[in-house]
Parts: sequence; structure tokens; C-alpha cells
Amino acid sequence: MRCTVPRSFYSGKCPESRTSMLPTAVGSAVGTERKGAMAKQACRHSWSMADVRYGFMVTERCFRCKEERSYFAEEHIPPKEEYREGEHFWDYLGSSQSVKFNLKCDKCGEKVHLDELLGLMTCSGCTADCNFNMIARICEEQKTWVYGALLYKREDADKPETAEKLAVLGRYFNDRIRTPGKKILVLPGWLVKDFDLCRCTVLEDVGMFQTEPEPSQS
Amino acid sequence: MTLAELSQKLGLKPLTELHDVEVQGAFVSDMVSDVMAGAAPGSLWITTQTHKNVVAAANLVDIAAVVVTSGRPVADEVVEMANRADLTILTTDLDTYGFVGQLHEAGV
Repeated sequence: MRCTVPRSFYSGKCPESRTSMLPTAVGSAVGTERKGAMAKQACRHSWSMADVRYGFMVTERCFRCKEERSYFAEEHIPPKEEYREGEHFWDYLGSSQSVKFNLKCDKCGEKVHLDELLGLMTCSGCTADCNFNMIARICEEQKTWVYGALLYKREDADKPETAEKLAVLGRYFNDRIRTPGKKILVLPGWLVKDFDLCRCTVLEDVGMFQTEPEPSQS
Repeated sequence: MTLAELSQKLGLKPLTELHDVEVQGAFVSDMVSDVMAGAAPGSLWITTQTHKNVVAAANLVDIAAVVVTSGRPVADEVVEMANRADLTILTTDLDTYGFVGQLHEAGV
């Protein structure tokens, strides 16, 4: 299955209303499998990675409209064939090895499906007036390291469940930290002002297992 | 064993400030995705990779230190990024196999 996100989704300014969706605390998990509602209420979750799948983060572009999008392919080699999808004619642009996973509570068995999550990125500080950059710089002074969640679909960004899932993901990473005072904050990628200009570091295995030259991107 | 003790014992060269933490174990991989999915906090990450991704992943997982093997050079911007994240990067001229052998002999 190819879940995709138009690259243009990440462009443009962040509407003020969306700032209210920043994950602030771990609320009730959503999109989950539960052993029981009581278990969910009582459990102080201890999250572990589950359903770990290795694959490729593939980027492609429509040669007609120039739209770009990325998706995660759970295949042994990244699919490079051109194909038509409605009005679009998708060309392979490049790929890198990546990983997808869900989170599962070791205590109650509750599971949080992170199907919306394409990957994580960190800010390189390239654009001074970028919301993500500003937040990252402020948090860094408090030894809080900000990671951006890249989502597949535009509509997922507007769902409150997505913010809750990112909060759970943040809690998973924070629960594992041993360094005193250090924290991880997972924020939505849409806080980036303009992804076409963004020089963020995406957590992926760039150039690994590449067996042939990438096609020209001109 | 602490990172400082280990570094001295195995002749590791710090490229960043050395943050002396207790080393809990070791994880060998050249893949960021592998580390995110499998590395335990407090581990040494032994790799030949020197990309900025290494710092981002090591910081996320709370790795004790990154050891770059085979004497691979590390770019200044990567070292600067690691220093900002209080992450120690060490290098050795040994290849990964040779270094892991010494690490095992040292009791890690």
C-alpha cells in the first residue's frame, strides 16, 4: 500500500489554530487496540516498539504537474517503475532505507498505531523566521531536543488523534532517556515554514545499498 | 565502565567534548533506522557513518557515545551538532571488527 503526502502540504505558513494541537501531555491514546477500557484508565503505560518494519522512504514526482510526494515501501528493493495514477504520472526520484513501527504498552497491551508517521526530522536552523526553527532553538536552551514528525497525508495533520499519537511517541523516547535533564519533544512537521527551502535532517539511511546511480532530477 | 575509562583503555580519540557517562553496552550498525529500532540507551554506537543523521539518531535514543571506526573523518558541522547535543564522538583507526574485539576484551 502506498500512503502518500504531497510535498506541498509542508509548504506555507502554519495557521495559528494549529498551534493549539501541539502535544503537551500524554493523553488517552487513540487508534489503539485495548484489552479493556479499565486497563487503559488505570495503566501507567510503559511503551515499547512493536511491529517494526524495515523498508524504503521513496520520493517521486509527477512529470506533468511537478508535484512531489514520499511514501514508505515495505519491499526488499525500492520500486522504481514509472506509473500513472489518475492525472499524475509518477517518476521515481530517490529512496533511502527507513523504518516504521507502532508502540505497545508492556503492561496493558494497548497499542498505538503510527500509520500516519512517515518519519522524523531535526531542524538545521536554516530559516530564521520558521516556527519549527524558533521552537527548536528555544527548547535547545532547556536541553529539550525537538524532532519533527513527517506525516503521509494532509488530512491527518488536522486530527486531534495525531497530536495525541505524537505525544505518546514523545513519551516513549523520553521514558528511555538516562541523561539527567534531557528531554525529547516530538512536534508536527507542518510547523516548518516552507519545506521546499527547509534543509532539515531526516532520520533515514541516505544512500545506503544504492546499486545504481539516481536518475537525473533536472 | 565509564566512557573516560574506556576511551583511555582503548586509545580512542575524542572529536567532541567527552561526557563521562557509564557505558551500558554496545550496538554495531551503519544504519540509522537500525539504531532507532534496536539500540539501547546508554550504549556505545559503533559505526563507519559520519552523516548528521548519526547525531540526530544517537541523541534521540540517548546513546552514550558514537565511535567512528576505520579512522573516518568527521565533518566540522557534525562535530558542532554533536557538541550542541552533548553527544560524545570518538574515533579509532581500527576497523569495526577489530574495535569490537577490543571492546569485548575490555569487558563491554
